[in-house]
Amino acid sequence: MMNKLLATLAGCVRPRALRALAFGLAAAIAATTLPAATPAAAHGERSQQAFLRMRTLNWYDVKWSKTEVNVNEEMVLSGKVHVFSGWPQAVAKPDVAFLNVGEPGPVLIRKGAYVGDVPAPRSFSLQVGKDYEYKLVLKARRQGRFHVHVQVNVEGGGPIVGPGEWITIKGDMANFTNPVTLLDGSTIDLETYGITWTYIYHFAWMAAAAVWILYWFMTKGLIVRYWWVKAGKANDLITTREKRIGGLWLAASMLAVLFGYAWANSAFPRTLPMQAGLLKGIDPIPLPPATVTAQFKGGSYTVPGRELSVKLRVTNNGTEPVKIGEFTTAGLRFLNPAVFTTRPQFPEYLLADRGLSVSDETPIAPGETRDLTVIVQDARFDIERLSDLAYDTDSQFGGLLFFFSPSGNRVGVEIGGPVIPRFAAGATL
Amino acid sequence: MSISTEAGAPAGKAWKSKEEFLGCVMLTDWILLVVLFAVVLGSFHIHYMLLAGDWDFWIDFKDRRMWPTVAPIVAMCFAAAVQSFLWQKFRLPIGATVACLALLVGEWINRYDNFWGWTFFPINLVFPSALIPMGFWLDVVLMMSGSWLVTALVGSMGWGLLFYPINWPVLAQYHQSAEIDGVLLTLADLIGFNYVRTGTPEYIRMVERGTLRTFGKDVVPVAAFFSAFISMLIYFLWWKIGTWFSNTKYIDADEI
Repeated sequence: MMNKLLATLAGCVRPRALRALAFGLAAAIAATTLPAATPAAAHGERSQQAFLRMRTLNWYDVKWSKTEVNVNEEMVLSGKVHVFSGWPQAVAKPDVAFLNVGEPGPVLIRKGAYVGDVPAPRSFSLQVGKDYEYKLVLKARRQGRFHVHVQVNVEGGGPIVGPGEWITIKGDMANFTNPVTLLDGSTIDLETYGITWTYIYHFAWMAAAAVWILYWFMTKGLIVRYWWVKAGKANDLITTREKRIGGLWLAASMLAVLFGYAWANSAFPRTLPMQAGLLKGIDPIPLPPATVTAQFKGGSYTVPGRELSVKLRVTNNGTEPVKIGEFTTAGLRFLNPAVFTTRPQFPEYLLADRGLSVSDETPIAPGETRDLTVIVQDARFDIERLSDLAYDTDSQFGGLLFFFSPSGNRVGVEIGGPVIPRFAAGATL
Repeated sequence: MSISTEAGAPAGKAWKSKEEFLGCVMLTDWILLVVLFAVVLGSFHIHYMLLAGDWDFWIDFKDRRMWPTVAPIVAMCFAAAVQSFLWQKFRLPIGATVACLALLVGEWINRYDNFWGWTFFPINLVFPSALIPMGFWLDVVLMMSGSWLVTALVGSMGWGLLFYPINWPVLAQYHQSAEIDGVLLTLADLIGFNYVRTGTPEYIRMVERGTLRTFGKDVVPVAAFFSAFISMLIYFLWWKIGTWFSNTKYIDADEI
């Protein structure tokens, strides 16, 4: 019977069609398997518009406790974030925000997220103009080398990605476990919990569906049935016996559903609905009033030199002289070598350790007001596509300027304002 | 009528023998079934992912109100259309089951290959909604009644009401709870929190949002009844859509 069917098949199908089918299959297999798949190296943070990265969240003091971990080992990603006062109108205010991780899938799982001391597994509100401290406890899951960022998602604004660092994870994901203690005191491994049962339940029903379909298909197929319907004999196609079988099939299915529902209720008697809603009680860092003010007096971006020039009127209301030591924006740090004599620990691609200079490097004395020009010049400004500011509809820069006193005190001051691009012959943005 | 046993078909006949004819009919049946299944799989999958999307993707979106409302309504479209085609053209009471099975085959391929195989999201985060018994219900109601009107009313009602109980045997285990850093979370919440989704922040979830507050904790039956009523309307519309597209009048015979 099978031979006859195959012989019929061979007779019916033209060799040309077979060749075309074989060629198509081979092409599809080659297209999907031969090209080497390389892991994603970054998450498109450079593609985000410059004004969005500069004038929404200013990240500082970002630290990765480790850059090399074993599977199942934990690390901490912590830091502070300043919510920019001049939050752009084009982006929704961070009334609903979520502390997230920018990474290629759950290569590290998020065991804990904290804003200040408050656990933040759900969304919360941020106040514009305030600073917050955050901490992410991450547990290594998948072996490899991955770029891991802090990130805050803002409802209506999208993901705002902070600085990232390469993290190497050693070991084997097969050994990963994620133990969780339930309210009843029992412990489960969330990595695999319930998966086998999920497969069994779904595939049992799918097998039943296949049986139901094949039962009807095998009786008269499609073409014969079509001819019967066209001949006006549609009502003769389903016999009383088949209706009885259908009724029994449905009754058995409904009984199975009822049994499954009752079993689930008895097996898991204490279930709760999912928890949602905005978290409350998340407060900003209680910073003292800034002892230094910096009034923006104009800025420009010189295209050929990739140089951001900012004029400021700085007033020192503190008791110690201060010097400008750092400008940070969009996760980049531009340091003044006159202040930073040693290179701090920070990802190389985001740290311009000689990227900041000031027109007058002498300390600003207590009570003094001085007009200064701050120059930010480094290839990273361009590599990270901050020079694309000129293409934004709201071409204003923003960031945090840090002043340092001889005793080591640091004062962060928010600066920002419109930037005028300065072109030269042949220069392009 | 005589059947030739010679190598070629007799003059005026396309077949050498009755066996060859029946074999080709069987073969064509199988090809049609596979093609139909693949077409429904692809089109229904796209439709369902676009309209049910996150509610079907993630365990922490499967709430008691929005999920049992949205998922059956969206799933009803193709179930009704395929049923219309297979019932009216072939008198086959399998349309809804074919649609549900095709969708689930496509979804499982997607969840296993893409969500787990490429991105390593655990399956307990990304398994799809179960739908098969709803398909049985809709098909048997149509077979017993022989009426698409009765199926629209009775079948759609069962379609909406069955959805949550069908899924509860798998879902219940993930509604056990844990205390994490002093915060109460179900395992569904916790899986969503632990396994980082860069582009799916927590606030995107629509967990029991709305004004349905007068039924205490028993929001599922209300959501299911609402879903069933809307499914009736969807059934009417998509049965007709299935009918409109189940003919060859759009194809110019000269072009074939």
